[in-house]
Amino acid sequence: MAIKDLTTAQARRPFQRRRKTCPFTGPNAPKIDYKDVRLLQRYVSERGKIVPSRISAVSSLKQRILAQAIKRARFLGIMPYAVG
Amino acid sequence: MALYEHIYLARQDVSPQQVEDLTNALTAVLVEGGGKVTKNEYWGLKSLSYRIKKNRKAHYSLLNIDAPAPAVAEMERQMRINEDILRFMTVRVDELEEGPSAMMQKRDRDDDRSDRPGGSRGGFGRDDRGSRPPRRF
Repeated sequence: MAIKDLTTAQARRPFQRRRKTCPFTGPNAPKIDYKDVRLLQRYVSERGKIVPSRISAVSSLKQRILAQAIKRARFLGIMPYAVG
Repeated sequence: MALYEHIYLARQDVSPQQVEDLTNALTAVLVEGGGKVTKNEYWGLKSLSYRIKKNRKAHYSLLNIDAPAPAVAEMERQMRINEDILRFMTVRVDELEEGPSAMMQKRDRDDDRSDRPGGSRGGFGRDDRGSRPPRRF
């Protein structure tokens, strides 16, 4: 009985946040491409750093692919290593 | 034969005609080695995000290559010698994409996004920690 009370209390938190899903998973998900700067630009901060997946909700597999694509774009000079 | 995407950056003060000649010369190297170029895209003179060998702009070219590895290695060797080439990158891919690449389609997509508020970097900018503190050791 005591255990059940505890679990219901945890489920009814005041701030219920919608579970974010990976933007690169599922149907009509965009293909990660190092040439697509507009897509990659959304996953770097204003300073040009790669946004951690815990914030952008990208799955860990796609985050690795995404990071590789951003690094390729940086090497080619189409994205900055650092801004400012 | 293996499939590759190849991008190279040519110095800003060469003419587009010279870049085209350069592409043809590199294609000839690949053909000699038993390969072929399936797509050739010239992206034009684009400004770089940072200076590369004192250049602020560069001519970008994309080649889709179907060639054996020794032919690509020979082409890369010659590119390293050529001083007009700032940088190049060859990526092995499982399949070459048809049609224009994301870089060429960009202009159309700029238009249909212009109505959106905020910039291209909307979502996550606030969480930035700033630059790395100096290392202690």
